[in-house]
Amino acid sequence: METTDLSHHISSRFNEDLESVRADLLRMGGLVEAQLQKSLAALADEDSALAADVVRDDAQVNRLEVEIDEACLRILATRAPAAGDLRLVVAITKAITDLERIGDEARKIAHIALRLASLERPADRYREIRHLGRLVEVMVHEALDAFARMDSDAALRVPQHDLQVDEEYESIQRQCVTFMMEDPRQIRRMLDVTWAARALERVGDHAKNIAEYVIYMVHGQDVRHTRLEEVQSRLRARSEGGAP
Amino acid sequence: MWGFTAMRLIATIAVGLAAGMVAGRPWAGIAIALALQVAWLLTRLYRLDHWLRHRGRMDPPVLHGVWDDIVTQVARLHRRKRHHKQRLATVLRELRESTDALPDGVVALTAQGEIAWFNRAAAQLLRLQGRRDIGIRIDNLIRQPRFVRYLQAGGGTAPLVLQVSEAPEAWLSLHVLPYGEGQRMLLIRDVTRETRLETMRKDFVANASHELRSPLTVISGYLETLATDPATDPAHAPPLAEMRRQAERMAAIIGDLLVLSRLEAKDGQTPGEPVDVAAMLTLLRKEVLARPRHPAQVELAIETQDRLMGDELELHSAFANLVDNAAKYTPEAGRIALRWWSDREGAHFSVADTGPGIPAASIPRLTERFYRVDPGRSRATGGSGLGLSIVKHVLQRHGARLEVVSAEGRGSTFSCHFPPERVLAAAGRPSAMIDTHGNH
Repeated sequence: METTDLSHHISSRFNEDLESVRADLLRMGGLVEAQLQKSLAALADEDSALAADVVRDDAQVNRLEVEIDEACLRILATRAPAAGDLRLVVAITKAITDLERIGDEARKIAHIALRLASLERPADRYREIRHLGRLVEVMVHEALDAFARMDSDAALRVPQHDLQVDEEYESIQRQCVTFMMEDPRQIRRMLDVTWAARALERVGDHAKNIAEYVIYMVHGQDVRHTRLEEVQSRLRARSEGGAP
Repeated sequence: MWGFTAMRLIATIAVGLAAGMVAGRPWAGIAIALALQVAWLLTRLYRLDHWLRHRGRMDPPVLHGVWDDIVTQVARLHRRKRHHKQRLATVLRELRESTDALPDGVVALTAQGEIAWFNRAAAQLLRLQGRRDIGIRIDNLIRQPRFVRYLQAGGGTAPLVLQVSEAPEAWLSLHVLPYGEGQRMLLIRDVTRETRLETMRKDFVANASHELRSPLTVISGYLETLATDPATDPAHAPPLAEMRRQAERMAAIIGDLLVLSRLEAKDGQTPGEPVDVAAMLTLLRKEVLARPRHPAQVELAIETQDRLMGDELELHSAFANLVDNAAKYTPEAGRIALRWWSDREGAHFSVADTGPGIPAASIPRLTERFYRVDPGRSRATGGSGLGLSIVKHVLQRHGARLEVVSAEGRGSTFSCHFPPERVLAAAGRPSAMIDTHGNH
């Protein structure tokens, strides 16, 4: 079974190019993680200055996406990578799109935080949103860790959180609807809370996508639109069949 | 030994030759003797080789003559090597065990920032996964933008304190130190306790000051009523006036404490907006002149219209504190001079006075809270003792530094030096910085 091994290239320059574009992707990932975390803190603490920071720094995320995209194209055009290297480059071009979207969702949450900062803060400081936020933060972090370690087992664990995220999202929606019926003056705020929850749920989906690219990159298996159990059994079959 | 071996060879050949001569074929005799000699040598070689291959489980063979010498030497070499190897292994194990016993995490990084080695504490603090994380770039795992920037800057003298997602409740202090040829060492310390204590201290100061303010307002209010009430005994007027003065001072101290704790609560440098320093200084000068007692001469030299990127309120409180100090410590016959200028090194503000000056030993301690150069004198002037701490904090938030030059009996000069990236050249009138470049 071929795996992506970055140390086998005769051309060390090529190797460096691949390594550096991967490091750039993870740097972008770190920035996006920070954006997400800041936007949630801005929402919980009603910190409009922090929310403004997030909105401002989103441009940086977008710039990194363009830069990494260009670097990947350059590698494809000049080095014509094959097998594992090709999969790495393809996975990176796909992952930056998802990261950029996560950045957009973080900006959305920051906008909502700016709007909600002018209202009176609820006593629970949006506990449900913070909980959901923590869940998806962990997902993004684990997906990027799996990318850094080329660890398909860790990548497989990421989609497992998704069920929990969906449940949380459902319950927040139900709760918001209840609040709206109880007190129509709360509708404006509750709509914003549902939007924030929706944004977080999307972030979870993007994290799942990134985890799937890791599996694709390591095993050469496209596992999109496939049920989790099936992916696991397919990978198991492969590793058993491929073992010497 | 070698002589004996040579003798034996010659003897064998001689015996072969003699036997050959008897048989009438001397060459055949020599050939048979040599063949026997070679066969004997080969058996020795075979046994030597066999022993070398299995020397772990076998005693050295008895091979006679020069062969025994060789066996002894090989055995000795082997023993020495094994001894060295054991010693090296012991040293390595001790090293590993001792670094594993360290409470602080240690990660050795290559010049490219890849993880070369780490101890147990580092694995626990950063959730590193055994051998598989060796060779991975550290900034691929700790991705916080602040850490990535810190690492790219080559670490530094001061450690970086941050929260990592691996342990969301913990605060870690990360310190990158260069060693060897381009390698770096990352030291990780859990500073959760210290950080919490520091936060508690800051919160306490902020809350205590806040809580003290309301009772003080009530006291001041009644004092004012009493002082202006015609029914008050005139004999009480002096103590009442003194009480009012002290209440005002207390209010000033509480106000400054609150300003200071707000400054401390803010992290890092302020991005800020363009601030018109020239206008601010003009106003500050007018305020000094409006005081009932002020130095005879208050000069203001504005040499640039450049604006400063910063927080206007913070800068105002810093500059006002410096001007206030100068005005307070300068006798009425004295003179204070304010100056605002810019050059290639950035923008600068200075306040020079002709006051009593500051002893050299006190200068480094000036920005400590409640530090008094001369306790008796300072209390009389009614300062809060926090002014220069506020100045220091404001300047830190603007990437600037405070310089104090003083000669006892002749006066002091306080200067604030702002870095060039904080200076916004005035429109239409290029600053000195741009000027020097434009000439080329």
